[in-house]
Amino acid sequence: MNHVVGAMCEAGPVADEETSTAERRTRFEALAPVLVEPLRRFLARRADAATADDVLAETLLVCWRRLDELPADAALPWAYGVARLCLANAQRGARRQERLVARVAVVDPPAQIVPGPGADEGDPRLEEALAALTETEAELVRLWAWEQLGPAEIAAVLDLTPNAVSIRLHRARTKLRESLRKTDGRAGHEGVREGRTP
Amino acid sequence: MTDDELQQRLQAHDRAASLPPADPAWVARLLEDAMSADQSTETPTDGSVETRESGTRHRSPLTWLVAAAAAALIAGVGVFGLLNNDRESSEVPSAGPNAPASTAPSITVLAAGAPTQGRCMVPNADLLANAQVAFSGSVDQVADDVVTLTPDRFYAGEVTDVVEVRSAPAMLQALVGAVDFQPGQRYLVAANDGEVMVCGFSGPFADGLESLYVAAFPG
Repeated sequence: MNHVVGAMCEAGPVADEETSTAERRTRFEALAPVLVEPLRRFLARRADAATADDVLAETLLVCWRRLDELPADAALPWAYGVARLCLANAQRGARRQERLVARVAVVDPPAQIVPGPGADEGDPRLEEALAALTETEAELVRLWAWEQLGPAEIAAVLDLTPNAVSIRLHRARTKLRESLRKTDGRAGHEGVREGRTP
Repeated sequence: MTDDELQQRLQAHDRAASLPPADPAWVARLLEDAMSADQSTETPTDGSVETRESGTRHRSPLTWLVAAAAAALIAGVGVFGLLNNDRESSEVPSAGPNAPASTAPSITVLAAGAPTQGRCMVPNADLLANAQVAFSGSVDQVADDVVTLTPDRFYAGEVTDVVEVRSAPAMLQALVGAVDFQPGQRYLVAANDGEVMVCGFSGPFADGLESLYVAAFPG
């Protein structure tokens, strides 16, 4: 059974007090500092600074409350899974708010959606190629390239089987490469001309 | 392009690569916040946490009993307050030495005066005698918008347990700078029209300043 089945962005009830609060604290204090920095980077790649901070706090709260479910041998992928769902919640909330703002303030345009990771830096073709992937494919690629996780760990984050991750990651990479080859080639050959031809 | 090359290209595009490590103090606070978030909602008997989502369905009957008792108490106090309002309203605000004994400390509230324009008169007893409040006391706390002092002697004004100098942060900072309020130190403070007098009238406790206060407020 997969570890991650229980990973969700819900604090849930605190587990039965089999382990005392002091013991839980000790365990959390040993475990959490190792999680904070990778989680912070995970969120910085996927959200603006304020959202990342909020979601980090929320993720740690979930980790604390669900400490007993946190697998000792795969704590980080489990925590990434929680962070991912907490971030999705936060972004859903933000989109709801934007829709509301758009409805209320007819004159003012709604706030810009936060650009994707690295949009301010210089690889627009990579950005474009990533955007052409499905959301799951893009996440597979990000977890592989940025978080540098193996298939089993990615499986724990996304609640998939390692086998499915291997297959889909391979497919996503191929698609990304193909897409980059096209856009790079187009840019290389056509230079300053606007490459609008199919 | 190999997988490695693709990974390198993606990594070059990693926004978190330039992220400096987090401040350890910030991380410590973050973890402490997570661990202490439960304490306000945790019921010590079973340790379960009630979230807004889980609602009130699983609350024990005891919770409702306690809530009902609290509501009855609040209602009772409210009714009592209403019934007694007329008789007591004239007495409540006074907090001077003649006020009935009360558990809450009495407080004199002062304000920081407007910043002076650099024209100060030499402090003298005649001018100081105009102060409605004058006391010596120690600073307990200097916050953004309040300096709290525990007076040990009142030369003028109603004797209270605590004196608070409250003002907008900018005004108060100017005063704290002028008088050099520091926690734990003893000061002589005079106030006119509810505003702390500066220009040498209020300052750290010193023999010279004390003799000025004694001269201004004989007896």
